[in-house]
Amino acid sequence: MWRSWKFWTVMVAISGLVVMLAYGFFTDPKKVPSPLVGHMAPDFAVERLGGGEKLSLGSLRGTPVILNFWASWCLACRDEAHLLEAVHREYGVEKKALRVIGIAVQDDVQKAQAFARQYRKTYFLALDNAQGEISLNYGLYGVPETFFIDREGMIRYKQIGALTPAVMEAQVPRLIAGVGSGKAKEPK
Amino acid sequence: MSAPAGAMSRLPARVAVARWRIARWALARWIGALAIAIAGMLLAAGTLRALSAEQIEARVLAITDGLRCPTCQGISVKDSEAGFSQQIREKVRRMVIEGQSDEDIRAYFVSRYGEWILRAPKKEGIGLVLWILPGAALLVAGGLVFWRIRRAGRGRPQADAAAPEPELSPEQRARIARDLKRFEDEELA
Repeated sequence: MWRSWKFWTVMVAISGLVVMLAYGFFTDPKKVPSPLVGHMAPDFAVERLGGGEKLSLGSLRGTPVILNFWASWCLACRDEAHLLEAVHREYGVEKKALRVIGIAVQDDVQKAQAFARQYRKTYFLALDNAQGEISLNYGLYGVPETFFIDREGMIRYKQIGALTPAVMEAQVPRLIAGVGSGKAKEPK
Repeated sequence: MSAPAGAMSRLPARVAVARWRIARWALARWIGALAIAIAGMLLAAGTLRALSAEQIEARVLAITDGLRCPTCQGISVKDSEAGFSQQIREKVRRMVIEGQSDEDIRAYFVSRYGEWILRAPKKEGIGLVLWILPGAALLVAGGLVFWRIRRAGRGRPQADAAAPEPELSPEQRARIARDLKRFEDEELA
């Protein structure tokens, strides 16, 4: 039996199927690696939620940026709201080592402002336009999603789903230290 | 015979009037032709505009049919009413109107979402393997089945021909004859 080519053909075919099934079972179809990681973050210009200060990503060159996409209707965004605010206060306000920007998608000003008040968000918040230009340019699958952009403007990491303390502990020091920064390619 | 002096003096005036009428008639014909041409062009332009709108919509549908809805399970952007799908449809429409090719539009979304956004893998590189593999597997499996059937078909007659006629003993022959006779008698009765 061990020397039969039929036996080994069937075994190879079954092993291949088992490997593919295992890959399918243990892979989250939503955790698709973003082609934007390692590329320059697409630039955008927005106005602070409710009017006032204007900001463009390009103007922040030299400062690492945590760019968070959220929405007032998004449940997972509530889980990460306090964490983002805490990182902003510690690294943005006290140490002035990075900027946190929140872009609300598919939302309206009143609901987004109410959400910001409820979770005492003090970092820069803005609203994507109705066409979702910023969201589409960043290839969003949903909310929340967060991009860690280094001081050169390159996307170093993308988090799909709510941020966790473990992600922040791993990514923020790397972002501030500029670990792994290299030459970024422009997205097509 | 000579014409009266008054008639002679009116002749150049009549010629001038006739020439003016001819010129006026020619001018009217030119203006008419020009008006018809302009109306035709406007009509054609209108028809072209209507066709373009249909063509734009057809292209938007074709492109979005090939794009995966980012927030849904297994349906295209064309068939999804999710917010992101609606925004993608609008973006595709804007890009089509801007004159970008289907390939450029697909490339834009691939650059943002990766190959994942395409519902069918590209017919190049590893994607080509995905296109070829199912067909190749079917061909190989079909070939194997065909080969086994042919081999089995070729083997059976030879085996039948090689099989020896069973030898019957005189007792067996006598028993068969007896049973056959009894069967015939029963049938006749």
